[in-house]
Amino acid sequence: MQDTDLKTRLAAIEARAPGAQQPPKLLRSRRRWRPRLYAPAAFAPGLVLAIAVATAGGAIAGFLSVRGYPGAQNPDQPLAGANLECMSPPEAASYLATHGYTDVVWQVETGSTSQNTDSTTQQETPPDHGFVVPGAFLGDGRLIMIVDQRVGATGVGACYGNPMP
Amino acid sequence: MTTLKQTLIRRRLRSVSAPSGIAGSPSDAATFEAAVTPLYDSIVRRLVVVLGDLQEAEDIAQDAYLRAFQSWERFDGRDVRAWLYTIALRLAFNHLRRRRRWLAALRRIAPAPWSDRSDPDLWTAIHRLDVRTRAALLLNVLDGYTQREIATMLAVPEGTISSRLSRARSVLRAALEDGSSQN
Repeated sequence: MQDTDLKTRLAAIEARAPGAQQPPKLLRSRRRWRPRLYAPAAFAPGLVLAIAVATAGGAIAGFLSVRGYPGAQNPDQPLAGANLECMSPPEAASYLATHGYTDVVWQVETGSTSQNTDSTTQQETPPDHGFVVPGAFLGDGRLIMIVDQRVGATGVGACYGNPMP
Repeated sequence: MTTLKQTLIRRRLRSVSAPSGIAGSPSDAATFEAAVTPLYDSIVRRLVVVLGDLQEAEDIAQDAYLRAFQSWERFDGRDVRAWLYTIALRLAFNHLRRRRRWLAALRRIAPAPWSDRSDPDLWTAIHRLDVRTRAALLLNVLDGYTQREIATMLAVPEGTISSRLSRARSVLRAALEDGSSQN
């Protein structure tokens, strides 16, 4: 029995095995809302308004909910093996431009998570410094690149633990 | 400029029952989902082959996915597939240990397994192997991980992996040669 034969047959078995496309949601299930039937009638208009706002809010939240995209550096993805995490943001931008990726959104994380002062901004130009975290290609072709400038940031991948560029 | 989407994601993520270690920023969740979600299907398939039971495989894959999210900030960024397989397979082994205990206590029959009918000889042969040997074999043959890497993933000495792989190959060889001579 050759290894290639075994590999082919095992791969075929695994491919025939039932899978699951969707991982679990990363959210808690929503608590069921129970109407309080004894609410005074005077509150009814406010209640109706609140329900309308909540419904609209839920629809917006659903519309804008998190979607998964393959990581740009994942195996078989366009930037596999690029090691962008080892570059400074300007170097990464230069690399991307050289390879034809010009529609890039730079998402910059700043502040401190532990002190609840972290914030996120998106911009069209790369910041001067920070750890580059390769992001993902969105459905419209834009590439999201994350730059972590937060207190205590460590970098990722091959350059995990290096000084912040 | 913080977008509405980011604000919503941030609020929702902070409501996750995650340990205090999670940064909870939008980029963490987005990066996690971008890196891990495409692998989810293959994790379930691998667990089905290792465990032989779809329901158990799905339960463990879900648990592994959530645990991976909870420990995302500790991931070194090197090989997300290996990291996810490590979490999932260790959970599977723990699950089997618990299940054996319960089944022994209840004297129940193990759940009906999923089986592959297209290649019954190989399916039967790999299910003659114990579950850890089967997992090691798949990591080696299908994913190409070295014995040292598998030893790290499954938290056992490298020599143990070496002997398991050797035994697996001899069992498969004998079983498949028997099968082909009978056909």
